Amino acid sequence: MRFMHSNMSIETPDQAEKKSFTDSGLGKKKIFTAADIAVIGMMAALLEVVKVALQSIPNVELVTLLIIVFTLYLGPKSLIAVWGFVGMECAVYGLGLWTIMYIYVWPLLVVITCLMRKYKSQWPFVTLAAMFGLFFGAMCSIPYFFMGGPATALAWWVAGIPFDILHGITNFVGAAILFTPLTKALNRIKQSTGLFG
Amino acid sequence: MKKNTKIIISVVAVLAVICLLFVAYKLLSPKTSQGSKAITIEVTDNNAQTKTYELKTDAEFLSQAMDELAKAGDFSYEGTNGDYGLYITAVNGVTADYDADGAYWSIYVNGEYGSYGADSQPVADGDKFGFVYEVYAQ
Repeated sequence: MRFMHSNMSIETPDQAEKKSFTDSGLGKKKIFTAADIAVIGMMAALLEVVKVALQSIPNVELVTLLIIVFTLYLGPKSLIAVWGFVGMECAVYGLGLWTIMYIYVWPLLVVITCLMRKYKSQWPFVTLAAMFGLFFGAMCSIPYFFMGGPATALAWWVAGIPFDILHGITNFVGAAILFTPLTKALNRIKQSTGLFG
Repeated sequence: MKKNTKIIISVVAVLAVICLLFVAYKLLSPKTSQGSKAITIEVTDNNAQTKTYELKTDAEFLSQAMDELAKAGDFSYEGTNGDYGLYITAVNGVTADYDADGAYWSIYVNGEYGSYGADSQPVADGDKFGFVYEVYAQ
């Protein structure tokens, strides 16, 4: 948690506003401001809504792209929103083996995006979205490795490769089309509200 | 870097991974052999009674051999098609209800616990398949 503590403080441009958000009675800076909590809640809700809206079309999803874009603005704090999303999924569908997968797969995307924050072009992130789709099955097969050994994990991964390829292609196309409009929209929100540091 | 270069690198990288995955899929998918195969199917029911069937088949996948066996009589099964393929719910009239008591029909292939559903389990000459009624102990 030290890592999160040192990196997760958000600073709004408006100093007076920041003071009222971040200063507790003891004068310590809070890790999460009220604005953060609101934004994280919205982000988790948006992930769930977008996931449900597109779930009737197999292997087409915008969750990957949204997590990448949000992480670029919110940093490691997106982890909380991602786990919130996983929590909502569990509430809707009940617990399953996929719960374990989701608990590490989506946060891994946040971590990778954080490491790629220096890139200004959309293409590294479009590539990331595509790769994430292509390796989704491989990453999700890890629990099977522990349950049934390498043969089970391999069989499970191989059986899903056609879906992974489709997932990678749709992620690539979706990100190529929507990355720029989404970042433009978030830039506008950032400028008009002072959110996202 | 020019924008076009970035797009090309991105597309090439994605296509390269797609090709690798495609090759992996072709090489690692369960292989099937055609022709007449002699196989054994053993059904162990909820009373641990075992019934053995021997048959010759051209089936590529286990479910096809099961269908042939069912047509010949003295064997029956029921199943549902779900996201993970054929899920066997009953064999020879014995229903395993996982929701009721944790019971399920497991598939053994040559003595090992099977990795595939019956509709994706390849059949090879000399294979010995087992359907065993098992109960998941909490």
